[in-house]
Order: sequence, then structure tokens, then C-alpha cells
Amino acid sequence: MSKSKWRALDHCDDKGKNNDADVQQNGEQIVTTKQQSKEWIIVRDSEGVDIQTTDTQAALSLQLGIQAAIAAVISLTIGDTAQGRAVTQDMKQFVKTKQQNVQKTIVEGSRNISVTTTDTDVAVNIQAMLQILVTLVAKLDIL
Amino acid sequence: MSELPKKTNAIPNKVIDLLVSDTLRKNGINLDDAKGKLSPDQKQMLKELVEELTTQVNEFVDKTTSPKKGNK
Repeated sequence: MSKSKWRALDHCDDKGKNNDADVQQNGEQIVTTKQQSKEWIIVRDSEGVDIQTTDTQAALSLQLGIQAAIAAVISLTIGDTAQGRAVTQDMKQFVKTKQQNVQKTIVEGSRNISVTTTDTDVAVNIQAMLQILVTLVAKLDIL
Repeated sequence: MSELPKKTNAIPNKVIDLLVSDTLRKNGINLDDAKGKLSPDQKQMLKELVEELTTQVNEFVDKTTSPKKGNK
């Protein structure tokens, strides 16, 4: 038993196969980091790995869009005053906590698999922010 | 309340309502004064903005929280 470990890239070794690029992947790491919230995906000694992660860029621009909308509503209704700024600040504060999301996914010795990771925190955060905006706007009879 | 696309409740609405009300009160905001400052045009613009953002958020949430369907 356990003479030699099965490796996804075994078929690339010697045996007259001449694709160096694949062989070099063996033992190396390909790291795809995408999230501001520190998501690590390490693929090692594998092939045919399909990875899907949360689109942080989209999340970020949505967050900014909602924040800007909240600021705009407050600026229009309360004015760009110290009072208005304090309200904006407080609103942002609600969703400030718990932004940290650390995920680490390691794929090793695999062939033809697909990996999907989700960042629920980001999604929940955006939803919460939107709820604040919608509530505020409803209170002002805008909707 | 509106014809906004439904769902998107990360936190119970009552909690958010409480937080928003409290923030306004704490900062001495008079809602009636604030309402009076908006022109109909501005109202319409903000309404459209919020609707658009709601659609975008729903799309994003759908995409991230239900990544694969029909993939057994």
C-alpha cells in the first residue's frame, strides 16, 4: 500500500510527453487572489481546475454606489452641514463591523474539478446597506 | 411601499428602521423639514436611483449566493 501517491499530472512525466509547461506546474503554486477580503485559492499539482469566486470588484462598486446614494439623499434633505455629515457617518457605521473575510481553498492532486467559493459577508453587507438606503428614502416619502 | 423588486433582507427590516430612526433623532433631524427640501424632480431622480441599485444588488446576491443551479 501507499507506494506512491497518485498525482494528477503523472501522465505528464517522462514517457516521451513533451509539454514542459505542464510539468513545471508540478510542485509549484498558482495563486489566485481576488478579494480585498483575503481569499486564497491555491492550486497545486492539478489540471482542469475551474474556479469561480465572488466578483469583489462588482461588490465594491455596488457598495460605493449605495454609500454615495445615502450621502446624496442626506445632502439633499438635510444639507451638507455638520449635522448631515454626522448622519452619513452614523449610517455608514452600521455596516462597518465584520468586514473581514478570510477564505483559503487548496486544491491539490486533482483533475477536472470545479470550485466555487462565495463570500457571503460581502453579499450580506451590501444587502444591509441597501436596506438602510431604502428605509431612509421611505421615511422621506421618496418611494 | 413601492414597486421595488422584492426580497433583499439581510437584517430584519424593523432593526434597520429602528437604527435609521434613532440616527435621525439623535442628530436632531426633523423629518418633515427634510421632506420639504426635496423638489419633485429630485424625488423622482432618487427614486430611480434606489430602484436601480436594488436591481443591481439583487442580481449580485443571486449570483453570489446561488452559484450553481442544475449542476448535480
